[in-house]
Amino acid sequence: MEDYVIEMLHITKEFPGIIANDDITLQLKRGEIHALLGENGAGKSTLMSVLFGLYTPEKGVIKKDGKEVKINNPNDATDLGIGMVHQHFMLVDIFTVLDNIILGAEPNKMGFLTKAQAREKVIALSEKYNLSVNPDAKIEDITVGMQQRVEILKMLYRDNDILIFDEPTAVLTPQEISELMKIMKNLAAEGKSILFITHKLNEIMEVADRCSILRKGKYIGTVDVANTTKEELSSMMVGREVKFAVDKAEAKPAEEVLRVEHVSLKSKLHNNDAVHDVSFNVRAGEIVCIAGIDGNGQTEFVNGLTGLDHFYEGRITLAGQDITKKSIRYRNTHGMSHVPEDRHKHGLVMDYSLQENMILQRYFEPEFSKAGFIKNDAMKNYSNQLSERFDVRSGEGAKTIVRSMSGGNQQKAIVAREMDRDHKLLVAVQPTRGLDVGAIEYIHKEIVKERDAGSAILLVSLELDEVMNLSDRILVMYEGEIVGEVDPKKTTLQELGLYMSGAKRDERKEA
Amino acid sequence: MKKKILSLLMVAALAVTGLTACGGKDNKSGSDSDVKIAMITDSGDITDMSFNQTTYEAADKFGKDHDIDFKYYKPTENSDEARIASFQNAVADGYNVIVVPGYLFAPMIVNVADTNPDVKIIALDVSEFDITDAAEKANKKDYKMPSNVCCFTYSEELAGYMAGYAVVKEGYTKLGFLGGVAVPAVIRYGYGYIQGANAAAVELKKTADVQINYVYGGAFAGDPAITAVMDTWYKGGTEIVFACGGGIYTSACEAAKAANGKVVGVDTDQSGVIKDSYGVDDLCVTSAMKGLAATVTATLQGVLDGKWDSDYAGKFSNLGLVSGDDPSLNYVQLPTETWQMKNFSVDDYKALVAAMYNGDVKVSNDTENAPTTEIKVEYFDNIK
Amino acid sequence: MKNKTGFMRRPGVQTLIASILCAVLGIVIGFLILLAINPSHAGEGIWAILKNFFKYNNNTTTMLYYLGSTLVKSLPLILCAEAILFAYKAGLFNIGAAGQYTAGLIASLYTSLALGWSWWACLLSALLAGAFWGFLSGMFKAFFAVNEVIAGIMLNWIALYLANTILANEKIMDISKSETYGIPQKGIIPGFMQPVFGNNQYMTIALPLTIIVAILIYLILNRTTFGYELKATGYNKDAAKYAGMNAKRNIILTIVISGAIAGLAAGCHYLTGIEHYSISASVPAMGFNGIAVAFLGGLNPIGAIFAGFFIEYLTMGGQYLDTRYFNPQIADLMVAIIIYLCGFVLFIKYLLNKKKSAVIVNANAQTTQDDGKEEQ
Repeated sequence: MEDYVIEMLHITKEFPGIIANDDITLQLKRGEIHALLGENGAGKSTLMSVLFGLYTPEKGVIKKDGKEVKINNPNDATDLGIGMVHQHFMLVDIFTVLDNIILGAEPNKMGFLTKAQAREKVIALSEKYNLSVNPDAKIEDITVGMQQRVEILKMLYRDNDILIFDEPTAVLTPQEISELMKIMKNLAAEGKSILFITHKLNEIMEVADRCSILRKGKYIGTVDVANTTKEELSSMMVGREVKFAVDKAEAKPAEEVLRVEHVSLKSKLHNNDAVHDVSFNVRAGEIVCIAGIDGNGQTEFVNGLTGLDHFYEGRITLAGQDITKKSIRYRNTHGMSHVPEDRHKHGLVMDYSLQENMILQRYFEPEFSKAGFIKNDAMKNYSNQLSERFDVRSGEGAKTIVRSMSGGNQQKAIVAREMDRDHKLLVAVQPTRGLDVGAIEYIHKEIVKERDAGSAILLVSLELDEVMNLSDRILVMYEGEIVGEVDPKKTTLQELGLYMSGAKRDERKEA
Repeated sequence: MKKKILSLLMVAALAVTGLTACGGKDNKSGSDSDVKIAMITDSGDITDMSFNQTTYEAADKFGKDHDIDFKYYKPTENSDEARIASFQNAVADGYNVIVVPGYLFAPMIVNVADTNPDVKIIALDVSEFDITDAAEKANKKDYKMPSNVCCFTYSEELAGYMAGYAVVKEGYTKLGFLGGVAVPAVIRYGYGYIQGANAAAVELKKTADVQINYVYGGAFAGDPAITAVMDTWYKGGTEIVFACGGGIYTSACEAAKAANGKVVGVDTDQSGVIKDSYGVDDLCVTSAMKGLAATVTATLQGVLDGKWDSDYAGKFSNLGLVSGDDPSLNYVQLPTETWQMKNFSVDDYKALVAAMYNGDVKVSNDTENAPTTEIKVEYFDNIK
Repeated sequence: MKNKTGFMRRPGVQTLIASILCAVLGIVIGFLILLAINPSHAGEGIWAILKNFFKYNNNTTTMLYYLGSTLVKSLPLILCAEAILFAYKAGLFNIGAAGQYTAGLIASLYTSLALGWSWWACLLSALLAGAFWGFLSGMFKAFFAVNEVIAGIMLNWIALYLANTILANEKIMDISKSETYGIPQKGIIPGFMQPVFGNNQYMTIALPLTIIVAILIYLILNRTTFGYELKATGYNKDAAKYAGMNAKRNIILTIVISGAIAGLAAGCHYLTGIEHYSISASVPAMGFNGIAVAFLGGLNPIGAIFAGFFIEYLTMGGQYLDTRYFNPQIADLMVAIIIYLCGFVLFIKYLLNKKKSAVIVNANAQTTQDDGKEEQ
C-alpha cells in the first residue's frame, strides 16, 4: 500500500463543447516531487482548479491521506494544507514583502496587527531556504524572480505541506533555477509533497521523482523519472518526436541596421543608471542576443530602444537614421518591430478582438483605413491571412476576443504581427516566455527564417538554452552594462554564467 | 444556460404580472356633488409652513367639511410646462375646481383657461399685470380673462404697515427685513413695514433711534448663507427681523434663537409653528397675515352656492380692509388671538385699523420706489 | 468542435438582460416601498407610474403631447449619458460632465438672452462652452496628471458659481420671478413634428439631433481609427503607448468631445424654452444622472437613448401618483433606486458569466480559459 497524500481519481471535467479533463488520475506520494507535464491546453490548469475547488468535476473523487474529501472552494483546499505558487503572481504591488506574505493570515492581537513575530518567521524561513528576500522591500521595487520567492515564502509561512508550483521557472535565471531546484529538494526531504507543473524537461529530469503526463485533456501515463529520457517524455507530451536543437545555417551578416552608442537611462528605483553607457550594433542577417539575469537593465534598455522610455544620453541609429528623439510611432513606421516582454501589458489589447490586435500599429495606414474609418474587411482578411500563415488558433476566428485565447496563441499573434510588419530590425524580448515546447520550436524557426530573409534581430532572453541555440552573437548585460560579447559556438554555459553573475567582464571595445 | 434565461424571464414575468394584478381602477370617492377640488403647488411643497401649506389646509378642510373630493398635484419641476401638465392631469382625473397659489401660475392660466371652460380656476396672488404679462409673452394680444378664472391679490403693504407700526410702538428700535425674493407681494410687505415703522417712530419722536436693515435672501427657503447674514445682523444689534417669504423664516429663527432676538412672521400666524420648532415661547412677536385661507374658503363656498358667475367669473380682486370695526373680518391683519405685545395692545391695534380703514392713515402700494422715511433704512444686496 | 458562442454568452445580450433586470428590480423595489407606505393603494400607485401618460388614452392628442414632453425632457439626459460613455470608453470617468453641462447652460442662456443670437449660434456656443470646460479638465489630466475626477468635481462647482454670477445679469434674470426670462423666439430651436405630438411647442429638432449624435458616437467608437485609438487607450493604455498612439492628445480630445456633447445637452434643453434657470445652490443633476443612464444603457450609445427615455418616463410618472396616499417624490425614489442598481449591471453580467460553483476570487481564471480554448 503506497502512502499517497493526495489522490485525484478519474477526474472528468467538461466545459460546453470541451472535455478539459477526461478521466484523469493523479496520485501524489508523501515527500515526493511529482511533475505534471503537458503542453498549454493539455488540461493541467483545469486539473489544478479542480483540486482547489474552483471547479466541481462531473466525475471522479479526491482523497487526502486515503480519505475522500470534498473541496468546494479554495478555503477548503487551504484547510487541507494545499498551497500554490501561481504562474501569475498574486501580490499587491504597493505592499511590502512582509505585508504580502501575511495578507489573509494577518497575525493580530485583539484586532491589532502584530507584525514583529511574523517578520521574524519570514526572515527565518528566508534564511533557511536561502531565499534572501528583504521583508521590507515593496513588491513593485523587486524583480520578477524575487516576487516568485515571495510567493514561495507565502506558502511556507502558512505551513502548507502539499505545495504546487505552477511553471515556477519560467521567469527565473539559470542560477535562480538551480537554487529553486535545491529548495524544492530540501522541501521534499522535509516531508513536504510537491506537485511541479512544467513543460521544461531538463528540470523534470533534474528534480522530479515521478512524472504524470497529460495531452489534450487525456491522461497519458505516469513514469519514474529515473527510468526515462527527455525524448520519451517529450514524445509522450506532444505525441510526436521533437527536435531540441534549432536548425540554422551560418549567419551571413550584411550592412549595419542598428547602432547603439553610449546610451544611458536613469533607474526609476535607485539613484543610479539602470542602463549605463551601452554601445553595440546589429547587422542585417544576424541574431544578436542580450543575455543576463532578470533585472540587470534589459527591460529598461529595450524601453529606451523602442521609445517607451528615453535615454538621457547617447544615440540610436536605425538604418542610418538617428532615431534617438523620435516617437514610438516613428520608430514603428521606420523599420522597427518589437515583440514586447510583457504581452498582456504592452503587446495586446486583451479586450480587443484578434483582428483589431493584428493592426495595432497599422490601423491608420491606407491599407486599413479610409477617411478616418477602419476598413473592416481589410482588417478581417489581413487577420485571417496572418493567422493562417502563423498558425494562430482562436475560437471564433478574427472576431475572437484575445483575452479568451491561450497564452501560446496570443504570443503567436504578436510574433505574426511584428514579423509581418515592414521592418529592418526585430526586437524580440523573451519571445517564448511561458510557451510550450511545440510553440517554442515554432517561434524559433520563424526567427531564424526572419534572419535568413535579411532582418536584423535583437533577441533579449533569460533562457540560456534559447540564447545558446538561437543567437549568432551574445552580449551579456550585468547591472546595466554590457560586460562581455561571446560567440555561442565558442563559449560554454559556465562562461556565460560567470559574465552574467558579474564575476567576469571584458574591456569593451568601441562598437 | 437555458435555465438561466428561463429564470430571468420568470422574474421579469412575475414582476409584471404582480404589478398589473395589483393595478386597479382609480377609486371613486367624494359626494354626489359634481364639484371636485384640486390644488396645484407652486415651486414649494404643501409642507412649506407658508403659502402652499395654508392654501392646502384650507382647501382640504373645506373638502372634508363638505364631503367633497380634494387632492393636490405637485408638478415634476418648477416650470410652466410642468404646471400645465399637472393641470391636465387634474382635469383628466375629473377635478373641476382648481386652486392655484402664486403668481407663477399666470402663464398656465393663460394657456389652459380658454380650452377648459368647464374648469374653474381660483388663483391666489395673481395680479392683472401678471396675466397681461403672461398673455403678451404667449403672443396672445388683447387677451381677455375667461370667465372660469378669478384672481386674487392682497394689499400686503397694509399688513406690513401694521407689523412695522406695532413693533416700533412696542419699543423695538433696531429692525430688520428679510424678504424671500423681490417679487411684488414681498416688496409690498417690506415697503409697508418700513412705512409703518417710520410712522410709529415719528409719533414717538424716535426717528433718530429707529433703524431698519433691509435685504432679500434670493430664495424662498432658509439656508446657511442666509442664516450667516442673519447671525451678523442679530449680533450687530438688530432686535427683530420680519422674515417674509416661504421657508426663509428658518434662517431668521435660527439666528434669532442664538442671539435672543425676535422675528415677525408672515402670511399666517406663525407663532405656533415657530414655538414648536424652536422651543422658544415668544420668538415670534407677531405676524403680518393675509387671508389666504379665508379667500379659499369663501370662494369655494361661493362656487357651491352658485355665486361664481355673479361674484367671481373673470374678476381680479384686490383684498385688503373690509371693516374698520372688526379687524378679524379683514384680509390683512395681525393675529389677535395669540397677541404677545404689551406696550402695543389689541386696542391700539384696533385703533390703527380703524384709522387705516377710514383713510386717516395712507399706505403706498408702490413697488418701484422705496418709501421716503425719516428713519434710517439700509438696503443690502441680495444674499444669493 | 463548434465555435459558435452561446446566445447568452454574447456580451451585448448579457448587457441587455442585466439592464432590463435592473430596471425591473428597481420597479419591484419601488412597489415594495409603496406597499410599505400604503398597502391598500400600492397597486394602483405603481400602476399610475407605469401607465404614465397613457392615462390620456382616450385623448390621443394629449397622450402624444405628453409622450413628446417626456421625449423632450429625456434628450439632455441622453446626451449627458453619451458624453459620459464616450469618455468612459477611453478609460476616463468624466464626472465633470455636470460642469460641462453647466457651461453649456451659461453659454446658451447668455447668448440667447443677453446677446439675442439665433438659435443655431446659441446652440453652437453651448457646445463650444462645454468643450472648453472639458478641455480644462483634459489638460489638467494630460499635462499635470491631475485625476479627471478631481478636476471635474472642482470645475463643476466653478461652473455653478459662474452660472449664478453671469446669469444674474439683469437682461437674463427676471428678478421678479427669480428665474431667467423666456427665450426669445429667435433663440428657440426650430420645431420638429410638433403637429404629430399634439402641437407640443417644445418638440424641436433637438430630438433628431440627439439621435444623430448617438449614431455618430456609435460610428466614431466602432468604425473610425479615432475610436479605435480611444478604446485601445481605455482598455490598455500601455499597449496604446506601445502601438505609438498619442495618449495626451487622445485624453484631451476625448474630454473635449465629451464636454461638447454635455454642453450641447444643456443647449438642447434650455433653448426649447421648456425650463428656466433659477439661481441654484447645487450643480445640475443632469450630468450625474447621465452616469446612471450610461450604465443602464450598457455603455452603448444606442442603449443610452432607451435608458434615458425610461428614466425620464419614470420620473414623469411620479406626478400621476395619487397624492392622497403617496408623496409624489416616490417616483424620484424609484429612479434613485434604479440608478443605484445600475452599479449592479456589471454584477449581474458577472453572475451570467459565472460558471457552476466558481468563486469570486478565481485565481486561475486566465490559465483555465487558455486550457479550454486550446483544445477546440
